[in-house]
Amino acid sequence: MIKKKICMLGAFAVGKTSLVRRYAENLFSEKYQATIGVKVDKKVVTVEGQTVNLVLWDMAGNDVYHKIKTYYLRGASGYMLVVDKTRTNTLDAALEIHKVAQSVLGKVPCLMLLNKWDLEGKWDIAEATIDDLQHSGWEVIKTSAKTGLSVDLAFEMLAKKMIQMQK
Amino acid sequence: MNDYSTRRKSKAASRAGDDLTILRSLLLSPEQIDIAKLKERLDNPMIRADEISRVLAEAIVIRASKDKKLAQALLPTIEQTIKDSVRKDPKFMADAIFPVIGPALRKAISESIRAMVQSLNQTLSYAFSWQGLKWRLESLRTGKPFAEIVMLHTLIYRVEQIFLIHRETGLVLQHVATASAGVKDVDMVSGMLTAIQEFVRDSFDVKENQVLGSLNIGEFTIWVEHGSQAALAAVIQGNPPEDLRRILEEALEKIEFEQSQVLHSFDGDVTPFEASRYHLESCLLEVKSETKKSASKAVARKARRGKRGKEPGLIWWIIGAAIACLFIILAGIILSRAG
Repeated sequence: MIKKKICMLGAFAVGKTSLVRRYAENLFSEKYQATIGVKVDKKVVTVEGQTVNLVLWDMAGNDVYHKIKTYYLRGASGYMLVVDKTRTNTLDAALEIHKVAQSVLGKVPCLMLLNKWDLEGKWDIAEATIDDLQHSGWEVIKTSAKTGLSVDLAFEMLAKKMIQMQK
Repeated sequence: MNDYSTRRKSKAASRAGDDLTILRSLLLSPEQIDIAKLKERLDNPMIRADEISRVLAEAIVIRASKDKKLAQALLPTIEQTIKDSVRKDPKFMADAIFPVIGPALRKAISESIRAMVQSLNQTLSYAFSWQGLKWRLESLRTGKPFAEIVMLHTLIYRVEQIFLIHRETGLVLQHVATASAGVKDVDMVSGMLTAIQEFVRDSFDVKENQVLGSLNIGEFTIWVEHGSQAALAAVIQGNPPEDLRRILEEALEKIEFEQSQVLHSFDGDVTPFEASRYHLESCLLEVKSETKKSASKAVARKARRGKRGKEPGLIWWIIGAAIACLFIILAGIILSRAG
């Protein structure tokens, strides 16, 4: 069996824990509970005929005052950068975190998740910004932990990328 | 006239052609032979097969050492061959694997019978002995289940689970547990153990080589032994002796030595670590207080024997009892006569 460590990275309250919960347990709660340190979860998927055990490290949110704990990143085969679609500053934080993650892990597969896509009236990040990101090579996926939009798809895409990289 | 000239011309041309062939054969004869040989090698599948067969074994070894593509390519064919073979004649496959399955089955059956007999012995001894009765009363008095009371009185320690963890990723490479252990999701447990280790290192001013050695949660103790690439975490119930650390250390050293290559190039595939199960299982130890008591009693008896020579034994007790009986009877006869 193949086992892979995935880290969930992003600013505070962008929905990292909710995404993991939706993916691993198919549950969602509106109640916000900040993650302290890290919480480890698991999901078994089949990618290209192989059973892959995804070990999901849901990490506490980061910002300029709370720097990312790099030792939690060690050994990760891929990571998700979660951005809150209703807060532009979470995108800047994600890009900063990406730089740190790259310095620790090198070029491992990663995806950017634009979360809270269901909150249509509160969208803050412009479509043009998203287009720019995509043009510069980012794989951006529109997700919603509340409705489950593209959550499974995102994790499966990352798993596939990691397996392909291993080969 | 015309016919004559034409015949002469064609004769001259054929002579020139012959000359050219002769010249070509003189100049290019060795190359032509080589080309003919090469053509035959390419056209004749038997020759090609013969040539490949000379290097096939070496080629397989080289490719297998480079990546896993050869195994992946052969897997469907091998699987299909095994399926076909079993469908055609199951006896052939049964004969082939019998030497492996036979001893394994015998061992499993004898182990389960032994466990059943042991559990029956234990049940009888707890149910009918004075000690068993005392524990039942204690269970009634305290409201705790009988099994828990028995365990509290008899168990010194038991290693319930062993995790072999890859230090960098925190992934479980292998895990073993006793039948009675409450096993939760091993990957999550291992991940959290690694995260706690990192958290502690970050939260307190500890040096790089200082690591988390033990954790206490309720009646459980978790001991973690760290190697260069892997770590061994033992979930223990009771009070383990310090000797257990040495046993864990030794097991980890053996695993790191035997699997150093696989550990170094670990990319998420945990299959090779099946081989380390034996070392992990050797750490699933259990010591009960009864065993300790009986062992210490045996040691004390041995010491007494060394000091005083042989014990009186049962025969002396019987002789003593017979003499006492004789005295009582004699006393009875004398008294009755006197009366």
